[in-house]
Amino acid sequence: MPLQTRTALLACLLLANLPARAADYQQAAGSTLGFSGTLEGERFEGRFPGFTTRLRFDPAKLGEARLDVIIPLAGATTGNRDHDAELRGESLLDVRRFAQARYTASRIRALGGNRFAADGVLSLHGIAKPVTLTFTWTAGKQAVLVGTASVRRLQFGIGSASYADTGTLSDLIVVDTRVVFAPVAPMR
Amino acid sequence: MTLRNSATHWGSVSKTFHWLIVLLLLGQGTVGLLMGDMPRGPDKLVLMNLHKSVGITILALAVLRVLWLLVAGRPHPAPGVSARNRMLAKLGHLVLYALLFAVPLTGWLLVDYGGRDLGWFGLLELPNLVSENHDLHEAFEAAHELLFWALTATALGHALAAAYHHVFLKDATLARILPGSKRISPDGGPA
Repeated sequence: MPLQTRTALLACLLLANLPARAADYQQAAGSTLGFSGTLEGERFEGRFPGFTTRLRFDPAKLGEARLDVIIPLAGATTGNRDHDAELRGESLLDVRRFAQARYTASRIRALGGNRFAADGVLSLHGIAKPVTLTFTWTAGKQAVLVGTASVRRLQFGIGSASYADTGTLSDLIVVDTRVVFAPVAPMR
Repeated sequence: MTLRNSATHWGSVSKTFHWLIVLLLLGQGTVGLLMGDMPRGPDKLVLMNLHKSVGITILALAVLRVLWLLVAGRPHPAPGVSARNRMLAKLGHLVLYALLFAVPLTGWLLVDYGGRDLGWFGLLELPNLVSENHDLHEAFEAAHELLFWALTATALGHALAAAYHHVFLKDATLARILPGSKRISPDGGPA
């Protein structure tokens, strides 16, 4: 084997072994983003299909952490079409005016063990407010983030007509998520 | 009283259809108007679902009523009614029947265009005729209300015409549709 070929081969091997910014992730299949609250005294659950998550995360380098979640709202569903029409309608999410929500965080704290908290900003219904997402991180070939956040819907101006009343619809909406991550493919 | 209609009287089936639909329409109109003034919320949803269920009932009764009319026929107009008034009555009844279908059907479409469920007392789920469309939902909502008022006006005219027959023409037109009017004289007048 000529020397040049050997050198090229060695370079390829070295490059392949380099961690390609190992802490960058994108969302993989099997991820869910849900919400739950209380309507007229009864608990309800729903989900936001089609959300996308980008994450830069390394427990050893929390200073570089970045989280960015984009949540399309038009498909938000509770599994009941009447309630979905209400949810997407003008008196709640008003998806015709506010088609998506976004959560971004650049400050992630360690809470001990595999637990962390992201102090981010949620932009929803035309209003941006701080929201903390606490989560557990399970590293691996497919890293998994399991997190929960409390959203006070009235802070985001969500709920007019009868829904302005927290006795009808709870102010507290719990958002829970399970995101499966694949490392972002290294540049070739 | 017989089940079928004859040349001079309405049978019990047609009478039942007539008055059952009258009662349902009165309730349905009231619920519909109340609902329109309610703020969006779970209470309104409850009323909306009641309104949908009753609306489906009315539509089903209207279909059966027309089928029965085709099978059982209808009495002749009372004697002595002018040709012009017969035409008017015929036209009025045609409009009433048309609206009896048009109001529930526009309701059905506005529900479908609004992306909502159309169920019958939680027992039956009706198919979606069309897919969600906000603008058409609004348009059919307006049409539903307009046609409701047209039905109200036409039904009021219908009732006034019946009263006119009874009071001024003194014929059996009103009496023969009333519940329990069993004996009908051969000339079509009350016995």
